[in-house]
Amino acid sequence: MRKVVLTGLLSLSIVSGAVLADTKLKLVEVITSPDRTAVLRQQVATFEANNPGVSVEITSLPWGQAFEKLATMVQSGQTPDVVEMPDSWQGLYASNNMLVDLEANIATTGLEAKLTDKTLAMARATDGKANMIPYGFYLRAMFWNKKIFARAGLTEAPKTMQEFVDYSKKISALDGGVSGYCLRGGVGGTNGWMMFMAAMRGSSEFFDAQGKSQLDDPDSIKGAQMLVDMYKNGYAPKDSVNWGFNEIVSGFYSGKCAMLDQDPDALISISKSMDSADFAVAPMPVGPSGKAYPTIGYTGWSIFKQSKHQDSSWKLISHLTSPEQNIQWAKKIGVLPIYKGAEKNAFFSTEQYKGWFEELNSPNYIPLTMPTHLKGWGYFGSVLAKDRSQEALLGMISAEEMAQDWAAYLSKEQRTWLDAQ
Amino acid sequence: MNTLAVPIKSQQRINLQRLLEPYLYLSPALIIIALIIITPTIVGFSYAFQSIELLNPFNGGWVGLAHFKAMFSDRYFFSALGNTLDWTLISLFFQFSLGLGLALLLNRNFFGRKLVQALVFLPWAVPTFLSGLTWAWLFNPIIGILPHWMSNLGMISEPYNILSDPQLALYGPIVANVWFGIPFFAITLLAALQSVPSDLYEAAALDGATPWQVFVKITLPFLAPMIAITVMLRTIWIANFADLIIVMTSGGPANSTQTLPSYIFTTAYRRLDFGYASAMAVMLLILLLLYTAILLKMRSKLAQA
Repeated sequence: MRKVVLTGLLSLSIVSGAVLADTKLKLVEVITSPDRTAVLRQQVATFEANNPGVSVEITSLPWGQAFEKLATMVQSGQTPDVVEMPDSWQGLYASNNMLVDLEANIATTGLEAKLTDKTLAMARATDGKANMIPYGFYLRAMFWNKKIFARAGLTEAPKTMQEFVDYSKKISALDGGVSGYCLRGGVGGTNGWMMFMAAMRGSSEFFDAQGKSQLDDPDSIKGAQMLVDMYKNGYAPKDSVNWGFNEIVSGFYSGKCAMLDQDPDALISISKSMDSADFAVAPMPVGPSGKAYPTIGYTGWSIFKQSKHQDSSWKLISHLTSPEQNIQWAKKIGVLPIYKGAEKNAFFSTEQYKGWFEELNSPNYIPLTMPTHLKGWGYFGSVLAKDRSQEALLGMISAEEMAQDWAAYLSKEQRTWLDAQ
Repeated sequence: MNTLAVPIKSQQRINLQRLLEPYLYLSPALIIIALIIITPTIVGFSYAFQSIELLNPFNGGWVGLAHFKAMFSDRYFFSALGNTLDWTLISLFFQFSLGLGLALLLNRNFFGRKLVQALVFLPWAVPTFLSGLTWAWLFNPIIGILPHWMSNLGMISEPYNILSDPQLALYGPIVANVWFGIPFFAITLLAALQSVPSDLYEAAALDGATPWQVFVKITLPFLAPMIAITVMLRTIWIANFADLIIVMTSGGPANSTQTLPSYIFTTAYRRLDFGYASAMAVMLLILLLLYTAILLKMRSKLAQA
């Protein structure tokens, strides 16, 4: 009896396989969290329902070990078809010529006209040819506490660096231990320093053609000096010299400091603790050049050249990044959507998202990408940037010495990199 | 009859075999010790004389004493050395004196003593990572209560986080360490106290000795050997103990709470420079060996006196 059933099942599966040309796609996600995986599974399920015969197998790698694990998979020939590609790995896989060129797909589907300019620029960031479709952005913008601003007689967020300093001064003069700026002096503060230094310098370039770092440029030093002075004058909380992500975010929603530069994912925890009428998000203040350089991060979907199912893989990617799915994805995981006009969506048209969309759509906001191609960048960010900036904030060294120290290290790293090219 | 004619040479061989025999039986243990303790130590020592930077994997090789020379011109090394001294001595002093006090209290008879004893030893059982995080939160003025108490008591001007003040930051991990280490002294000294013969106390009571005299003339001499050994062990442990500092301040702000072990950790796992980190570890080992030698010498002198 069992044999009969088995044979029946077997023949059935062969028949159905032959009819539907069963395709099995392997998708690897690398920034894994339970909530995210749930959203992804649900979106993939819709795709499978719309495309009979195609099934998707999702592999979820925890972010901490994702880089090594994916590299091992690729080296051992278990290359996935579709992979979640963070900006910091894009260069590596693209320069090894492992990613499918998606230009033809973008042209035939008319995506070119629908995606925002910055999305297309990021898709083509490595060599001018799109090798990924970004699914969203992390972009720095300025959260400001409306209640505290009103107490200081202010009605809107600072537009320029000068206003930023002046407003911080006014707010810090209020009683109750309030300070102007939620400074991130501890772990992860590197982006803030780079952003303020770039805004005063008026350029997003980290190096000149010879590989010399621009951080010890006199205008860059002005940006660093500005932050140091703000701390010394008490426009940022005394503790903030040691603040990391949790402290700046809790400092902001507890009303200890009135301005915070952060990415959209901070909005999730801030919205839980603050009434949405009490705060808004504005673009980063611009420097003397009229431009600001908010740091940007993005992640997207790529197809590996080794994939045997490139057409189905493209279908899967275009499903995941379709306007409807993308908006839902962006809402759930706290990134900015990739389509033009997404700011008109009811969810994104609030005051909380206004600042980010202004940055995305205006030429005055030039995204700043960190030089993550340098081998020593990890050490620079976690040790050198933190230690020197804390010493500068505490007055042990000058802002100029800090900038020169940073520039010397980064110039050396960049030249090593240039030599290796 | 033949045995009488055994030549001297084979007699020697038998002697040698007798001598070696115990080592044969010990060999599994000896091999394990060699593999687990001696080999890594030698490898670690050898790292101190090589350039091993994970960021520059192809620039390796022997560098002689270069790391040790670099150490003597490294201002962070000396500030870490000074911090190690502060961290160890202050923590040890409070752990010991409070631990001794606690042991004396627990040595009395009172209702619920067993329960109190069990509770007192609790900090020792809490994972250091967890206690470090909890203390870090307690010192945070937004969530924690300590800064507000300290400012109400006038210890600090306003409720701020002492962990971000380079002058005071080291006291944060020290407080956590004292809290964590008291039970160790309390446990060991209580055990020693309970072995003091009670007839001595009865005799002292009959002779009309004051409590202070009883403490100095009976309790302390009986505790002395235990005190000497626990203080020595504990000094080495505290000097080598970096968990609380890594969790609470990770050496910051601006390296002001870096002790040698935490600086070694940072050098090895943030700067990925294992050569220099090993050289500093060798230096720390030498300093601790020196300290132990001096303490043992003092102890034998005291025992003779």
